[in-house]
Amino acid sequence: MKTILSRRTFLKASVAGVAIKISMLPIAARAELIETPPPPAADWLVAGGKPKYRLDAIAKVTGGKTFARDYRARDLEGWPKEQSHAFMLHATRTDRVFDGVDLALLEPDLKPDRLVLHEDLVADGVTIPVPGFYGDVFLVPKGQTARLLGQPVAMLIYHDFARFDLAKRTLRFSDNVVRYGGAGPSTTPANYGAARYVRIDGGTPDAPDRFSALKDTVIWTGFKGDDPQWPAAGDGDASARGMTAAAEIQNEIAAAGDDMLVLKRSYFSQSIDASAMEADNGNVWYDAKTGVLHAMVATQSPYEVAEVAAVMVSKSKFPLKSVDLKVGYTVGYGTKDHAIFPFYCVLAGLYGDGRPVRLANDRYEQFQTALKRHAFWMDNVMLIDRKTGQFRAMTGTYRNNGGGRENFSTSVGTVGATAAQSIYYLPKSDFSAAILASRAVDAGSMRGYGTLQTMSATEMMVDEAAELLGLDPIEFRRRNALKSGMKNTQGAIPSGAMRHEEILNKAAQHPIWSQRNARKAEFEAANPGKRYGVGYGHVHKDYGTGAESALASLEFDAKGHLKFSHVAHEIGTGATTSQTVMVGAILGKLPDETEFGKVRWPNMPLEATDQPYTMSQEDEDRHKLNPRWTPTFTSPMSASNSVYYLGHATREAANVLIELAVWPAARSIWSRGIGGGQMAPEVVRREDLRVADGTITAAAMQPLSFAEIAAEAHRLGLVTGVTVHTFNRWQWAEAEFDLDEAGHQRFAIDALAVKYGDAATPERKALMTADGWRFVDRASVSYPPTQRNNAGVTYYAPMATLVELVVDLGSGDVKLLSHHSIIECGTQVVPELVSGQIQGGLAMGIGHALKEYLPLYEDGPGDGTWNWNRYELPTAKDVAVWSQTAEVLPPLSDSDPPKGMAEVVMIAVVPAIVNAITHAIGKRFYELPVTSDKIREALA
Amino acid sequence: MTIVTRKLSLTLNDKAIGPIDVPETMMMQDFLHEYENLTGSRMGCGQGICHACTVVVEKDDGSLEEMRTCIVGAHWFEGRKVRTVEGQAKLGTDGEIVALSPVQQAFIEHFAFQCGYCTPGFVTGATVLLDKLKREPIERDAVEQTITDALDRHICRCTGYVRYFEAVRDLVLKTPGLVKA
Repeated sequence: MKTILSRRTFLKASVAGVAIKISMLPIAARAELIETPPPPAADWLVAGGKPKYRLDAIAKVTGGKTFARDYRARDLEGWPKEQSHAFMLHATRTDRVFDGVDLALLEPDLKPDRLVLHEDLVADGVTIPVPGFYGDVFLVPKGQTARLLGQPVAMLIYHDFARFDLAKRTLRFSDNVVRYGGAGPSTTPANYGAARYVRIDGGTPDAPDRFSALKDTVIWTGFKGDDPQWPAAGDGDASARGMTAAAEIQNEIAAAGDDMLVLKRSYFSQSIDASAMEADNGNVWYDAKTGVLHAMVATQSPYEVAEVAAVMVSKSKFPLKSVDLKVGYTVGYGTKDHAIFPFYCVLAGLYGDGRPVRLANDRYEQFQTALKRHAFWMDNVMLIDRKTGQFRAMTGTYRNNGGGRENFSTSVGTVGATAAQSIYYLPKSDFSAAILASRAVDAGSMRGYGTLQTMSATEMMVDEAAELLGLDPIEFRRRNALKSGMKNTQGAIPSGAMRHEEILNKAAQHPIWSQRNARKAEFEAANPGKRYGVGYGHVHKDYGTGAESALASLEFDAKGHLKFSHVAHEIGTGATTSQTVMVGAILGKLPDETEFGKVRWPNMPLEATDQPYTMSQEDEDRHKLNPRWTPTFTSPMSASNSVYYLGHATREAANVLIELAVWPAARSIWSRGIGGGQMAPEVVRREDLRVADGTITAAAMQPLSFAEIAAEAHRLGLVTGVTVHTFNRWQWAEAEFDLDEAGHQRFAIDALAVKYGDAATPERKALMTADGWRFVDRASVSYPPTQRNNAGVTYYAPMATLVELVVDLGSGDVKLLSHHSIIECGTQVVPELVSGQIQGGLAMGIGHALKEYLPLYEDGPGDGTWNWNRYELPTAKDVAVWSQTAEVLPPLSDSDPPKGMAEVVMIAVVPAIVNAITHAIGKRFYELPVTSDKIREALA
Repeated sequence: MTIVTRKLSLTLNDKAIGPIDVPETMMMQDFLHEYENLTGSRMGCGQGICHACTVVVEKDDGSLEEMRTCIVGAHWFEGRKVRTVEGQAKLGTDGEIVALSPVQQAFIEHFAFQCGYCTPGFVTGATVLLDKLKREPIERDAVEQTITDALDRHICRCTGYVRYFEAVRDLVLKTPGLVKA
């Protein structure tokens, strides 16, 4: 079977003897936030434990150095102060061989201090890390064609900024700098992969499936040309049986009679640029004397960058003892997760002659090289019972263009296929993904991750189906919406309650929808030359990757000073704020000290194999006998994973601390005095423990401050620090631990370290051998079965959007009058952050629906001339900034966990807009974006 | 020698700077970043589109103007009074922040930004708008449109603009003298 680099799966890149240290850099910025006016602590939180502003607010609003991009060598402690700068030259064609660079445009004093070509890398043993995923070469070799448009051919390094700046401006846009020879064979890689998810239910939604990915298998295959070569149908192995099931669905569609609606439609969703405001950048100093690679890089995946950098350098001629990576706040919407750019920064550092080298894309370069959203071509077929208005089956054949490096393309394709059902229950389904390579700029992780493309198509098609069935679009959706306990198209039952009907009912009653026809008539009568339309889109989006891991730590001293450490760092979503608030909600005490982006955890000596998607059950069963083994060490900041998955580590750490420290310490205080003290007359159970007004109480016991509890815990030598590691494979790992007098405890974690208080016995203190902590070997562990990888997803957050817009018949321009969104995301940790995500996601979706577009090839971003003058981003005037509204369904109870919602928020608005345009002018559109030109053409 | 320099002097965040030798072709943004270590005025597009790089220029009559630094050469600022985002808050004697500017305070209280990369430009744009309204108050029913017209040129990719705009509206409405009675 093909080795699959699924979403965020990554090859384990361990190098014996190379230490890796990663730390979140802007400690000063954070310290400033905590210690400067407006006064923090008391002022930061308002009543109810909610924050008055973001943890990072003051640093950001005052222009403090917060982003990796803000730092120069002079700002980094221990670095040389002289800063070098680098830029790259790029290939803008792939049909002719690279023949070298011509720097004749540069006067002698502007020649680079160092020119780096592929041949230098070969001589020095510098090779691409993780071949395939990151392509095969950094720089195009002389005599070969570029693998993709925009691929770098050379790096120019300058030891001062003024020369660098002028040289770069001189060479920019010149067609004569990169020289080409004759025609050469294509070096674009072979197509990346193909997968198919087939399901036939067992007659009812509850019955065991006849075939599904979860029960049986995902069907994988290779290509002939650009066509996937699916296995033959049969009754042999699971893949053959899957193809038999697929054939059965096709036959049913082919044989459909008049009682069925068979609707076949094709859709296209375009490539776009994420246009993160902070372009890719890094600053790397390789100190040959000490063998330390110091780096300051913008990334969403610092652990991966450090590990892979270590592999890359250690294989070269450059001696390496350690990698010291610092990260700033950043933003990428996924595109800074497992991107190749940080390794170009490493290259720059290696050739800096001992000086720190900064490589920072300008916007043209960012368009030319940054990861793009995948273009999708989608062919859908719906089979619908005309009488019931219910789906009998749906099939989708999807092709996505990954460009010239694989990156996460295969994963994006499969995630798109598994999302295509949108919010509907499908008794039979067959969704396939063909992930194609091309000479386009490489595509990778980006907010929406394939689901934006496939769900938008389904939601546009559902509206058309409703029209053909003579049904109200919301009523049609209601008849087909997934209900709690129903299976998805992989055969897995989604987590918890499905609340789509509640959302549909609210949408149907909203004035935008209920008054749409009256408003249309009224508006159009008053505005000749304009057409009014209302559209609806309703989706749910998975969050997480199926292999989510994290670490969190809480410890306190005898005075109650609480320190919180976490692997999470800040990509703009407010993760550092919400993780901190979650601690406060459970302990009644906000951390006094925080450390985010922490990836070095010497107190957790875990052994990770980092093959969570591909390891067999047999191998995993063998590995898990080692109490220090875990499937993966930590996750990047991506996949809407912070509040739920990374937050799970926070919540578990706090809950374990309650169990092992707060509860026994509080009980001890409440039991003081004769006859068992104040606690004796009452029945006080663990489940009675509550946080009230920042204190701990239970069943009318004296409220205790955290400081009082901390003092008692230290006096008794109880646990006073807890570090946990968590793992989720569409279900949480759980483990049991023997904890002396705390007994045999089971937590939803797979590894635990504890620290004992000041008065702990010498025997206990002797156990604290892991960087001052006791790593507690688990007594047993339960990991979700590996077959659960085939579930594709079990966690969803739903959102629907109603859009009200106007089309100008003359110009074709679309103007949004208002929009209203309804989302369900469990318990909101910080409602202001949730609302900010909703508003930001909507804007990004509006851009995708109406404006943003990149050609894939020679006239596309790889040519180095794209910027925001011709790539139009939505501005405030485009998003109905003053009139948009949103509502969040209240949680079912206060025990609802928060749901990851940073991606779903951008999707529903896309089909809602297209459906509204159809309502306005009576024309359907199948290709995004729906530009003014396309509308004018349709109206002509 | 290809690089021709000239002396540059200006007032930057109330401090006299220069004369410094600065290349004639250097953009103000690069001067701020590389010569003055003021990186708050951010590189977004380098084309004058996104306005993440803007600074306040104080004119002779005391009125404020918003200037893009990615497309305006450093030497254009010769002799001028410039305020970057780093100079908006009031600082104490040790450089600590004593008080945020009203715009900054409004932004943090409204959770206006997310990644914060574009925030310096919005702080600058809103500060200049407030200064303009101080001189030319507007009717209440023109507030939203005025804010939209003033700040629409600022690009933000995270927030959808809503919380920025609401923060500015609240500030305009609660600051005496900006809206006609």
